Amino acid sequence: MTRVRRTALFAHPPGGLAACAGLAWLAAVSTGASSAVRAQAPAVPPTPVASLVTTYCVSCHNDRAKVGGFSLAAADAAQVERSAEAWEKVVVKLRSRSMPPAGMRRPDNNTYDAVSQWLEQELDRAALARPNPGRPANLHRLNRGEYANAIRDLLGIDVDAAALLPPDTQAYGFDTNADALSIEPALLDRYLTAAATIARIAVGDPSVAPAVERYTAVQGNANEQTWLWQTERLSEDFPLGSRGGIAARHYFPVDGEYDLRVRLARTYADVIRGLQAPSDIDVRVDGVRVGKFTVGGAKAPAESQDADEPLHVRVPVKAGSRQIVATIVKTDGARPEGLGPDRIPIWNRDGDVPTFPLGISSLLVTGPYNGRVPAESPSRQRIFECDGRGDATECATRILAILARRAYRRPATAADAQTLMEFFAGARAGGSFDDGIRAALERLLVSPDFLFRIESDPRNVAPGAAYRISDVELASRLSYFLWSSGPDDELLDLAVAGQLRQPGVLDQQVRRLLVHPRARAALVNNFFGQWLQTRNVWLLTPDANTRFPWFDDNLRAAFVRETDLFLDDQLKADRSIADLLSADYTFLNQQLAGHYGIRGVYGSHFRRVTLADENRWGLLGKASVLAVTSYPTRTSPTIRGKWLLDNILAAPVPPPPPDVNTTLEESKAGKPESVREMLERHRTNPTCASCHARMDPLGFSLENFDAIGQWRTVDGESAINPTGVLLDGTTVNGPAALRRALMAQKEQFVRTVTAKLLTYALGRDMEYFDAPAIRGIVRAAAADDYRWSAAILAIVKSPPFQMRRARS
Amino acid sequence: MIVTRKALSRRTVLRGLGTAIALPLLDAMVPALTAVQKTAAAPVRRLGVVYHPNGVIYENWLPKGTGRDFTLSPVLEPLEPFRNQLIVVTNLSSHQAEALGDGGGDHSRASGSYLTGVHIKKSDSVVGNGMSMDQIAARALERATQLSSLQLTADDNSLVGACDVGYSCAYSSTLSWLTPTLPLMAENNPRVVFERLFGASETTDPRARASRLRRDRNILDSVNARVRELQQSLGPSDTRKMSDYLESLRDVERRIQKAEEQSTKEIPDVHKPAGVPDGFQPHVELLYDLQLLAYQSDLTRVITFMYGREQTGRPYPQIGIPEPHHPLTHHQNDAEKMRKCTVIQTYHVRLFASYLEKLRATPDGDGNLLDNLVLLYGGGISNSDRHTHGPLPTLLLGGGAGTLRGGRHLVYPQDTPLTNLQLTLLDKMGVPTERLGDSTGQFTELADLG
Repeated sequence: MTRVRRTALFAHPPGGLAACAGLAWLAAVSTGASSAVRAQAPAVPPTPVASLVTTYCVSCHNDRAKVGGFSLAAADAAQVERSAEAWEKVVVKLRSRSMPPAGMRRPDNNTYDAVSQWLEQELDRAALARPNPGRPANLHRLNRGEYANAIRDLLGIDVDAAALLPPDTQAYGFDTNADALSIEPALLDRYLTAAATIARIAVGDPSVAPAVERYTAVQGNANEQTWLWQTERLSEDFPLGSRGGIAARHYFPVDGEYDLRVRLARTYADVIRGLQAPSDIDVRVDGVRVGKFTVGGAKAPAESQDADEPLHVRVPVKAGSRQIVATIVKTDGARPEGLGPDRIPIWNRDGDVPTFPLGISSLLVTGPYNGRVPAESPSRQRIFECDGRGDATECATRILAILARRAYRRPATAADAQTLMEFFAGARAGGSFDDGIRAALERLLVSPDFLFRIESDPRNVAPGAAYRISDVELASRLSYFLWSSGPDDELLDLAVAGQLRQPGVLDQQVRRLLVHPRARAALVNNFFGQWLQTRNVWLLTPDANTRFPWFDDNLRAAFVRETDLFLDDQLKADRSIADLLSADYTFLNQQLAGHYGIRGVYGSHFRRVTLADENRWGLLGKASVLAVTSYPTRTSPTIRGKWLLDNILAAPVPPPPPDVNTTLEESKAGKPESVREMLERHRTNPTCASCHARMDPLGFSLENFDAIGQWRTVDGESAINPTGVLLDGTTVNGPAALRRALMAQKEQFVRTVTAKLLTYALGRDMEYFDAPAIRGIVRAAAADDYRWSAAILAIVKSPPFQMRRARS
Repeated sequence: MIVTRKALSRRTVLRGLGTAIALPLLDAMVPALTAVQKTAAAPVRRLGVVYHPNGVIYENWLPKGTGRDFTLSPVLEPLEPFRNQLIVVTNLSSHQAEALGDGGGDHSRASGSYLTGVHIKKSDSVVGNGMSMDQIAARALERATQLSSLQLTADDNSLVGACDVGYSCAYSSTLSWLTPTLPLMAENNPRVVFERLFGASETTDPRARASRLRRDRNILDSVNARVRELQQSLGPSDTRKMSDYLESLRDVERRIQKAEEQSTKEIPDVHKPAGVPDGFQPHVELLYDLQLLAYQSDLTRVITFMYGREQTGRPYPQIGIPEPHHPLTHHQNDAEKMRKCTVIQTYHVRLFASYLEKLRATPDGDGNLLDNLVLLYGGGISNSDRHTHGPLPTLLLGGGAGTLRGGRHLVYPQDTPLTNLQLTLLDKMGVPTERLGDSTGQFTELADLG
């Protein structure tokens, strides 16, 4: 031991000493924390990690200097499981090569690998003997999306969850986090209102008051101003020979009349443009034309504020989910398909674009009027197992038992049944059988058993002990992970029968859930949308004023569509996770292809395209990813670098220290500067440099992509210099080189994805004690080339997913 | 009562509602509302808090002169017509919003501690704060109203991503904390606000409404029993979530009970707005209109409203500022950026002034709504460039039912806790409170305010 310490002292490079304020002598008090253990067994040679730490770490990470708030002084280098939390941090730093910092003396690659491998083996062995699966919350509230899915699966109706419930907060990157999913009065109030509304729709109550539902041409658009250039057929949902418009699926609660109203796009000054020529507007329900209007023309004023006032039609519609489409008939004079605008009319150029073509901004469905109880509707078929004309009580009991089981995701108890039957009986006394079912359904939809996934410790478990969760709890974890919804009958039946963990059954169920389109929709929207932050594309505000006047909502929607189709395809084809970075294909329409500088793609529909330019391969070439990591007016190598560290390299950086100015100063010299020059000046401040030295050089390698993901070779007046530096000091030149370097350490990427998937699935943050499970999953998936199915199966079988720690 | 129609700009509301269906609402509503107001005997005390994010350019905000003899700054200029009911209070600060060892996150702390005076817990999932000043008032004033309070925001509330370094989005998205662990989410959708105020409005038939309320109460009773049962079986862990649940049940039950008691009160025939209206300004105007409606029909007496969350990057192209707000506010003394920040702050004040105009035009008791309101207008950041939490830009508006005497600029010793002012306001509203967060006492100059 003494010898080791001395070696440490002498081995230290002078540069290292200086960098840590000359505190290297403190190494003497460090590594061998459990001196008692070693004193008893002096013959044991120092472990690989002990030598490494002594040589490279403790001069900064000791109790006195505690650089970065981290000390290894008390960490047990002999029995590493005793200091698992500290060593897991060390593993992260070693695996990502982020410590010691570039410029200091660093081990060679073999040492990096050998020591981290040794550490991982030791930690994993200990974890296997004593797994710590963590403790997700007892009560896990459904988030808004899960609620809507549950309603869809339970009652067969599509509800607009965003209109019924408030948005959920995110924690650790996902809105599935149990701690963040709190409950408060306003929310409970909305659950009550939603339950009443949904129950009425579900049983088809003809007295349901007319309500308005609004669909917009651009997702989530709050107003009638869009930057959606409507000169072409938008997708396969629209009739041939149409341009622009809206296609939506709407759930009609009862047979009755509904008013369909078309609103036209307005400029910032609230003016409808494009009326100089007549336009025919076509409204269809399930492909059948129900309304046709003409607006504009020679006699009409060229602009108006209320030209769309007469554009509505009242039509009889049968209950159920139907496709409604409002679109404009394309005339010969319209522009060819697929070309985006050269520059779009925005607020301050309102006056100078009189040729702005007429567009549709929203479609309002109001109704029902003169509603009748539908003889057949998807929800009635799903609910009414029997019609109550015989023994009403017996029939209601049957109906409610089935509903309760599906809604509560477990067998219904006698108490559940009794509660619901009380509501049934109360309402039926003054009304009909349907009224009774409706009342019971309302109660059921506000029940904590429906709104919360509940996991409880079995009675006989010792405090703090790890135990296997029940099959029924496992079924819910599984279905919420893959479907963002409750288990279906097959999965729940197996769980209730206690067969879910029988040999082969779990594998078969995971595969069954995974191939269902529901899984891809849920994972693409909820997992990827949050992990890759592509949901934020809808909130992007690129500077359309000066920098990107052609950025319109077609392009915005195309960014999202491309990424969604790509991810869907990756899952569907069960590709390797690493393919996310290296896939040489994507999905494009003409406008996006033009944006990427790719020729030969015509029309508005998306199709698979093989990418000749390897700079565009994988996620790092996607406009969505490149734009959400940029500012409105310029790129941010810092944000991109941070994004890479957080999401690809598993080496997150700490937040900026307090009271530092995090904005870039613009050049005072009057000479336009490149972002690189600005950042380089920023890094002359040592406080900033400590993290920016890691983030910016990574981000620079993507500088060939501008703030909306277009290829470029100049920025301002400077030529782009796409030279980036990886954490280990390796230089990469441009996006393709970066990608190749990342692929060389693809296991790091798979680790990141696994940790994100687990965070999403369990609804809790990853802790140091989860690291062995993550490594286990990565190892298991490696055997099958990191295929999605292999990784997901390994997650489902991992201790944190299968088990839970009892309350201590 | 023609006044109501004047007060509630019909054009604005209709435009905000976005659909023609809303047309009948005002005509139907007006007689009902005036009926309520006629029965009001004594002036009712009400509290409103309006929060603007991302700090100010203080020198452009600060009025010249003190006491009664002051000149409004460029930013505050739109408030000149309300000078008699305006008190500018300077040199207050929010010490608990400082880092105090917690590192970055000044924006979250600014709004998080604004009404609590508590140093918020640095966490992005398990939150910790104190009960906020508006909720203390709400508890005392809720006895008479169906809703104990309302929280509104003009910001998008579907943001994805962490709101600030290590802080939950809750801290920057709302000012109101019902308990130290229970933030009250601010609503941005006028349609939802309407539903909360006037019910889901399937029908306005009083008998149907009564039966709806009865059913809601039955459901809540039954759910309450089940939650208590679960609490028993799950044991003492996750007590936070359980107590939040029970707290929520209590609040909603109270609302329903109140609504039942007031079932004879005619509820206006309100059609729901379709959603968030066109653009920032109409959105803000509609949210202000809703606040006026809520006070006027006495459905609540306490409202907090945020122009936006802290750190919001909203651009304001309609006033010539296409750049996102937050980066602009780190102006590094660049004159052009500071000018733009000033324009945005003035814009906020101007919108506030038109709300004041409507409040003043709406009769209430012997006077008007503004006479009886206490409005606190401000933010938790002073110098936006450096994230300072004092001297905070702080305004009081309204007569506070005769308790506030306006037309003055009061200057307190530097770094006087903002909570001292809030404590004083609670006292003025008849809700004497011993302490609020880091408060060190009420203003000894209490009389000054009155």
